[in-house]
Amino acid sequence: MKFPALRAYALFYLLFLYAPILLLPIFAFNDGTIIAFPLKDFTTKWFEQMFTTPALAQAVKNSLIIAVSSSILATTLGIFAARASTRFAFPGKAGIVGLIMLPLVLPEIIVAVSLLVVLLGLGIKLTTFTVILGHVLICTPYAIAILNTAFSSLDRSLEEAAYDLGETKWSTFRLITLPLVMPGIISSVLISFTISLDEFIIAFFLAGSEPTLPTYIFSQLRFPKQIPMIMALGTVLVLMSVILLTIAEYFRRRGIAKTGGTDTGGFL
Amino acid sequence: MTTRPPMIEFQDVHKYYGDYHALRGITATIRAGEFFSLLGPSGCGKTTLLRTIAGFEGISSGAVMIDGKHMAHVPANKRPTNMVFQSYAIFPHLSVAENVGFGLRRDPRSAAEKIRAVDEALEMVGLKGYGNRAAHALSGGQRQRVALARALILKPKVLLLDEPLSALDKKMREQMQVELIKLQRQVGITFVLVTHDQEEALVMSDRIAVMFEGEIAQLDDPETLYRRPNSRRVADFIGVMNFLPAKVTGESNGHISIEAGGLGQVDIEAAQAPGKISGGEAWVGFRPETLTILYEGQTAMDRETPGTVEEVVYYGDMTYYDVRLDGVDRPVRISMRNVFGRPVLDIGTRTRVAWSPGALVLFR
Repeated sequence: MKFPALRAYALFYLLFLYAPILLLPIFAFNDGTIIAFPLKDFTTKWFEQMFTTPALAQAVKNSLIIAVSSSILATTLGIFAARASTRFAFPGKAGIVGLIMLPLVLPEIIVAVSLLVVLLGLGIKLTTFTVILGHVLICTPYAIAILNTAFSSLDRSLEEAAYDLGETKWSTFRLITLPLVMPGIISSVLISFTISLDEFIIAFFLAGSEPTLPTYIFSQLRFPKQIPMIMALGTVLVLMSVILLTIAEYFRRRGIAKTGGTDTGGFL
Repeated sequence: MTTRPPMIEFQDVHKYYGDYHALRGITATIRAGEFFSLLGPSGCGKTTLLRTIAGFEGISSGAVMIDGKHMAHVPANKRPTNMVFQSYAIFPHLSVAENVGFGLRRDPRSAAEKIRAVDEALEMVGLKGYGNRAAHALSGGQRQRVALARALILKPKVLLLDEPLSALDKKMREQMQVELIKLQRQVGITFVLVTHDQEEALVMSDRIAVMFEGEIAQLDDPETLYRRPNSRRVADFIGVMNFLPAKVTGESNGHISIEAGGLGQVDIEAAQAPGKISGGEAWVGFRPETLTILYEGQTAMDRETPGTVEEVVYYGDMTYYDVRLDGVDRPVRISMRNVFGRPVLDIGTRTRVAWSPGALVLFR
């Protein structure tokens, strides 16, 4: 390190980024309802409370259903779109791809409000299903962005070779294309899952009477005595995210090693 | 080579990509068991033509026939052809044996027989015992062999090779050229090779189609192509050729009289003008090796012209001289095999050059 100022800046940056997250476990184990120093005794009762709150369990269940469904749906749609946009030329391609990618930059509040207006106009009841629709809409652009990279780095002659050796178009896709883009697919599912799991605005507007985890947490922040439990919940979520990302990275690296490519980065 | 039955027939094949006319009326026959090359600069349509045989590329009009059957409605996976791709297209997630045996997935034979077929194919390309290796861990030359084994295991009627050697270094390439020729003789399958490397085409092929801008400019065996190119363009693309402006002064029963750019009046045979000649302005061409620099005491067998050495390029076994012949307005290139005890000439040396009217080619 030749520049001490840069070093200090980097340290400060990391502190700013991660210190608040470090506070989560500290207060999650603190025996006191007020989030302030000095700390009181060590306790695990907030975690126990977490597991004995039915409303929280329901919110977690809703969120998991939504996150799993929308990540799989978004990735499936992403596979079709990415394959089409990397393999074929068709009229209006740039425009169509642009429209699909638009939710990436569109303010989420606008997406949420317009979806709400449309759904109410159509007389569709607001349930977890409507949240899934909204989340598919915002996850698909991410899925496409990830899968485009996977598909475009696939040598086209690999598919031609399999076809040339007597396979059908479909079995070629299954035997060659799918295994080779699998790391991209896993990445896409995990990223979509993460986006959906902590998405607030759309869930808030479209969930009706079935709260998701973020909307539940938000609703509990009004009650000071619930805050320590939220801290405990946050601790669990951070732990889960770290585990999930580690798994994703493991699969990504294994995929690269299996195909003999060189590692060019990735999310971690 | 005795005339063999046709294996691939192109009948006035046209191919358009939008407004771009990629193939402009290809009519040609590739014979069974032949090592056939499509040679041309990039963008000449040679790869497109190869892909119309494989079925990867449809044609806009005309017909492609393989072994007497129309291929218009036969998709690539049902054609009796297999391809070795420029990138080799080795499936990176499969082992060597799985790659080679990929085409046997739909084969009704038993697993044990398939394993034997894979082993035989690997042995044929010199990769015996490599079956369990991961495909991505192979070197370029080994990948090439796996691609060959994979394509040949289905015993296709035609093996298509799309610039298969272009990714290899020079030494490996020359070794693989010889191996491919041997392999082709061994299996007796029709090979169709696409290449932009004229030397490779000359070394390997029974016949070569030289392509420019979507058309076949000349289709001949390597020797005819080299000795009697039918246009200046073909002559220039294949090897080195000196060109001098010439005038046709007379034509009579199989002979053409020309005034060859400073070399004087020459009579040549009509066969030495493979392209169309319609009197008047023309060009004569001659290969560097058809000229010989005469040393002290040597005499020309045929004609002799004095000149001055202008440039010397030493290649070890060969030396290229650029010599300005007296009366000729441009230097000509002469290649001489270096002989022990005979010194390489210096720039500026006065010398005599022997040449023969029989080695000239006349172009429009």
